[in-house]
Amino acid sequence: MVALARKTLIYEWRRFLPAILAVGFAGLLQLLQAALVFGIFGSASVYITGSSADLWVGYPGTQSVNLGRPIDEGVQARLLMDPAVSRVEPFHWVDADWRGPRDTGGVSVFVSGIDPRPDGLMFSQVLPRELRELLDEPDAVIIDRADLKSLGVDVGDTAAINGHRVRVVGVSSGLRALGGVNIVASLDTARELDTDPTNVGRMTYFVASLRDPAQAPSIAKRLSGSASFGSYAVWTAREFARRSQMYWILDTGAGAGVLFLAGIVFLVGAVITSQTLIAAVIGSVREYATLNALGVGVQALRRVVLEQAFWVGALGLLGSAVMGLLALTLARSRNVPVAIHPITAVLCLSLTMVLAMVSGLAAMRSLRRADPASLLR
Amino acid sequence: MSAMPNVSAATPTAALHASHVSKSFASGRVQSTVLHDLTIDMRAGELTLISGPSGCGKSTLLAILSGLQRPDAGRVTALGQDLGLLDLRALENFRLQHTGFVFQGFNLFPALNALEQVELPLSYLGLSRPEAQRRAMQSLEEVGMGPRMRLRPSELSGGEKQRVAIARALAKEPELLFADEPTSALDAANGQIVIDILHRIARSHGTTVLCVSHDPRLVGHADRVLAMEDGRILTDHTPTATPATSGGAEESST
Repeated sequence: MVALARKTLIYEWRRFLPAILAVGFAGLLQLLQAALVFGIFGSASVYITGSSADLWVGYPGTQSVNLGRPIDEGVQARLLMDPAVSRVEPFHWVDADWRGPRDTGGVSVFVSGIDPRPDGLMFSQVLPRELRELLDEPDAVIIDRADLKSLGVDVGDTAAINGHRVRVVGVSSGLRALGGVNIVASLDTARELDTDPTNVGRMTYFVASLRDPAQAPSIAKRLSGSASFGSYAVWTAREFARRSQMYWILDTGAGAGVLFLAGIVFLVGAVITSQTLIAAVIGSVREYATLNALGVGVQALRRVVLEQAFWVGALGLLGSAVMGLLALTLARSRNVPVAIHPITAVLCLSLTMVLAMVSGLAAMRSLRRADPASLLR
Repeated sequence: MSAMPNVSAATPTAALHASHVSKSFASGRVQSTVLHDLTIDMRAGELTLISGPSGCGKSTLLAILSGLQRPDAGRVTALGQDLGLLDLRALENFRLQHTGFVFQGFNLFPALNALEQVELPLSYLGLSRPEAQRRAMQSLEEVGMGPRMRLRPSELSGGEKQRVAIARALAKEPELLFADEPTSALDAANGQIVIDILHRIARSHGTTVLCVSHDPRLVGHADRVLAMEDGRILTDHTPTATPATSGGAEESST
């Protein structure tokens, strides 16, 4: 079989270039916006992804980690009774108000009360050992370097949280969260800062590590079944992180925004691509008509057009993959929050291939002009 | 002449038969009749020329005889097959198996070289790649394009392009070959070459060649000339009594 579609594509590459570029940029835009959304909203679950716990135990129905409500402290004992659990750690979450030494007005902050021991589970990924040790000091807090300005402090300064004096003993990076500034303190300090009297004897979360982390889903299910010590729910860390991210994506309307933009990108890409392919078909319409006169069926001619669309799509995708990789590397090096899962990338690129094929279908329609009788004048 | 269920058995020489064919076109509110109740036979192994002024209906007749258009009334029988009974798909298949076309514009794909142009329709015939290539080379040799078969249309002259187009039609080994003004875009020398090739195809392959042209140079080369005007055939004659190669001999002797 003579590779008419490919040979034409190579020989008349200038004609097909706009379509390839349109597909390429459509793919790139889909990739980047997905990476940005997941990068930005991924920080909603930094409490979970920055820690090494396998299970999270909290108030039933909690939609996002920042919306936790206190549960009975007896739950800790219940968890420790399970032979699969190797360690349990409390996590005290306080929604608080910050007043810094400089004139920043009130800032809404989230205080994360954690166990500061060196091998603690909470924030094990983002807090180095020497910083954790500093939290042993009463009223010591650690903040993200990027939040220094909005909090109006420097390391060593004192400020007030819920009217209680605290001292900034260190800064880290990777602590930033969505919705409010994340401030890390020890469990004791957090207890001091929590002004809600109903929280006494209660804890926002318990996180647990397991002897076999691979068993997390089934253990979470087993532990959830118990109703002793009041109501609580058990999630795997992965599940809870996803839950928190999805909450933010949907709650802020970002999800709808992404879909809307994806739709626009798809539409614009398809318009340019199909117009280019249509022009290519019309440019060769006399040759197609001649083939039809010689008995080559319309179906076979349609396949040629569709094959052309496929190659345009494939080349465009190659371009968007390369450009996307470069853009993401650049974004990472500039601290732009980007994160892309391979499945998301494949999804974005598949959508772009669908765009190319839909354009091919549109171009196929113009083959109707390839009427061999019109060649006789 | 009545219906011919089996052409080769009943009248061995009639490959193409049209009976009482008429066709009219509507342009706006004006209905113009292009073909008036035509009945003709084309014999196998002959080069038949339909000549006449532009607008006389000769191209429409070609389109109907070749199955590219359907007549308003009447019947076309090609190789014993009533074309009116075939649906679009079957008609395409009939053309694939039995007919070749040469058009005024050469209609070659810019991206393909001469060999690929000829090979392309053959691949749809279900021939293997080597067989398609062999046949394509053979017919390119036959039209004298063997040495230039690796060139693309942009590297060929008009006459060469038309020879590639003829090779493309010829490689399918069709029983019927239709040519529409094959020489009108060519100079005298190239026109001559193309006519000779068409004539040779009719002779050596036993192909029914039907050529539509207003080019007077072709008249001397045809086995039979039908002169058309206003949708009717005025005259039907054989230009020279001697074998039709005499036309070519006269030209070459000058």
